[in-house]
Amino acid sequence: MSLKTFRGGAHPPGRKDASKNAQIEYFSSPKQVVIHLNQHTGAPNQPLVKVGDSVRRGQKIASSDGKLMIPHHASICGVVRKIEPRPQSNLLDGVAIVIEADGGTETEFLPALDVFSCTREEAVARIREAGIVGMGGAGFPAWMKLSPPASKPIGIVIANGAECEPYLTIDYRTCLESPGALVFGMAATLHVLGVKKGVFAVEDNKTDVVPVLEKAVGEFLAGEGSGKGFDISVQLLKTKYPQGGEKMLIEAITGRQVPSGGLPMDVGAVVQNLGTLKAIAEAFREGKPLIDRGFTVTGGACKTPKNLCVPVGTVLSELIPDVIDVRADLARVLYGGPMMGVSVPTLDTPIQKNTSGVVFMTPGEARVFDEGTCIRCGRCMRYCNCRLSPALMNEALLSEDYAAADAIGLLDCIECGTCSYVCPARVRLVQRFRVGKMKLRAMKAAEQARVKARAEAQAAAEAASAAVASPASPASKEAK
Amino acid sequence: MPEHQSLLLSSSPHVFTNVSVRRLMLNVIIALLPVTVYGISIFGFSAARVVLTSVVSCVLFEIIFRAIIHSKQNFGDLSAVVTGLLLALILPPSTPSWMVAIGALASIVVAKEFFGGLGHNPFNPALIGRAILLMSFPAALTSWHRPPLDALGGASLTDALSTATPLAILKDGGTLMGAAGSLGTDSLPDFYTALFFGNHAGCIGETSILLILIGGVFLIATKTIVCATPVAMLAVTALFSALLGVDPLFSVLSGGVVFGAFFMATDYATTPLTTAGKVLFGAGAAVVLVLIRQFGGYPEGVTYGILMMNAVVPYLNKLREKKYGSIGKGAKK
Repeated sequence: MSLKTFRGGAHPPGRKDASKNAQIEYFSSPKQVVIHLNQHTGAPNQPLVKVGDSVRRGQKIASSDGKLMIPHHASICGVVRKIEPRPQSNLLDGVAIVIEADGGTETEFLPALDVFSCTREEAVARIREAGIVGMGGAGFPAWMKLSPPASKPIGIVIANGAECEPYLTIDYRTCLESPGALVFGMAATLHVLGVKKGVFAVEDNKTDVVPVLEKAVGEFLAGEGSGKGFDISVQLLKTKYPQGGEKMLIEAITGRQVPSGGLPMDVGAVVQNLGTLKAIAEAFREGKPLIDRGFTVTGGACKTPKNLCVPVGTVLSELIPDVIDVRADLARVLYGGPMMGVSVPTLDTPIQKNTSGVVFMTPGEARVFDEGTCIRCGRCMRYCNCRLSPALMNEALLSEDYAAADAIGLLDCIECGTCSYVCPARVRLVQRFRVGKMKLRAMKAAEQARVKARAEAQAAAEAASAAVASPASPASKEAK
Repeated sequence: MPEHQSLLLSSSPHVFTNVSVRRLMLNVIIALLPVTVYGISIFGFSAARVVLTSVVSCVLFEIIFRAIIHSKQNFGDLSAVVTGLLLALILPPSTPSWMVAIGALASIVVAKEFFGGLGHNPFNPALIGRAILLMSFPAALTSWHRPPLDALGGASLTDALSTATPLAILKDGGTLMGAAGSLGTDSLPDFYTALFFGNHAGCIGETSILLILIGGVFLIATKTIVCATPVAMLAVTALFSALLGVDPLFSVLSGGVVFGAFFMATDYATTPLTTAGKVLFGAGAAVVLVLIRQFGGYPEGVTYGILMMNAVVPYLNKLREKKYGSIGKGAKK
């Protein structure tokens, strides 16, 4: 099989050996869960329950009627004890529903739904009602990707199994342990989109999943999926970071580039994380919403590296030390991988729908460097997979020249971390770009508001001058 | 469970490559070792004296200057050692020590620290050092000696040992065969071979093309530099020389063009960041140096060729590659 890849990118040490052979372990009885109202990109949710209510596993407890809405569900049976701000892995510490377990085992799932016979609207509604978000990290509502406008025809669905972040192995284990569910999820996605071509994309550091996936595809096409014309294949990719970045993956598989400011659907592609496909399969076959999350627990300070599946909202500190044992010299805890993950200040942070791993780092792993001066070696420019010019953007941002940074493509930066990783002077490029993007967006919004306000004031002044004989005062005020 | 009062917080990414500034500078020093050792072996003690004086004064000047302006000391990154080594290797082995020290002062303090230190200097420090010496002491900087020199360097050299470089012979109206004769060779292939192996008069580090190439290949293999600039510079030197009727092989093998292409035109701070910029930089430096050799007052033009291109680097950096998402079918603009 030929290897596909993208241009640029780096090779941080993989460090996946610690957990790659550990079968996914299920832990289903936390004493409490902390379910944040917002663990997704999109409209903020409102709680549907109040303190004192009894809830069952699978019951919808938070929702909204916003455009990018995604509901959240109780992941255990119990009683709502508190609705208050709690530590969160995005560090925003949003409002969460705290449920105390009562030992019950009843579930309140949706009825099973045959994706191949229901309407497209019913299928999309099911994926939405099951609260499925992209499980790779960003938490974009999965149903949005499955409802492209008619002007954006989709030609290919890519299952993102690259798992390019160092340390993480949960996608790899999911491939080995539930290939049938993944293939079903892929077929459901293809069917909903009316697309035939689906590709499972995996990096070539996990070639052993290829026969497993191919066998599952063969079985599915011979059984349940026969006669539907699906063309599902497995494609190996070069092991390189960030191979699993959506834009890089699309470049590798299709040779096309997502336009600046656009979405994958602009080039006819839909990318779904493997975990998302499994959740989609469960939502149709069992009516089960996204209430369990598989993730990797690893790192030098973790004595028990493993792959774990827990109810969403399980607080990390509850798993220590019985499920996860941690060394005393623990220095840093990451939610997600080391390249794009977030370091959290407390172990009381709950596992969210988009938590793909928890990395416990020793002081040796979590080295901190003083920021040096850019020596203009150009390594960041050669490695940047978005072909931006990190060194020049850094220079522009240091001199607060936002227009120059914008011209280079600051808003196109995907914050993958490659430039900071390779920088020999340890310049905090990504950190500066992240802040710069926020400022630039705010400046653009302010500029738009100003233009709008000026246009309105001008219109009002013209209306006033037409009505009254003395136009001087509103016009002169406006001129300032 | 251990109580973790203070977990470390940081912005992603949380892991970093082992390649540090110090490592890159060390790579350059390693790449320069073969030419340095060879230079000392053919020119003797005098060359060792120049190298040592230059390196020590560069490091000292950096430490002193940073102490005076109360700035953080950063001799640990080895960049001053690289500057010192580069300066020594582009000086004649007979350069007096005090002159070398003045060159080091010009390199480190004037060309580098005045502009803010490593990464901020617009002009190549070692070349500025050499340029200032060349203007101040033209005689000392253009007196060449056949290897080996005696123990005291230029001080007690007899006239018999003093010689002109092949480039100077051509500049003074000599022929290629005349230049060949100055190296004791009587055929062009022998002449090229002599130039390639480098046992002839010249600057300490510039004579052996073979060893320079070994160092250059090492830098490219360790990804310390990319080959765009040296390839462009050497190719354009050959092409443009041929266009002006000069033997292209001779143009590339003589003087400091190969050394300059691999070690000066690839200096991080003073050359373009973009690939297109690097190619144009190399080509531009080559055009200027050939013009100086052919029509200018000096027999050699590498120093000024590179320094002149240093000045236009901000413009060359505008030649950026198209960013992801701005080309192809889906592009909006």
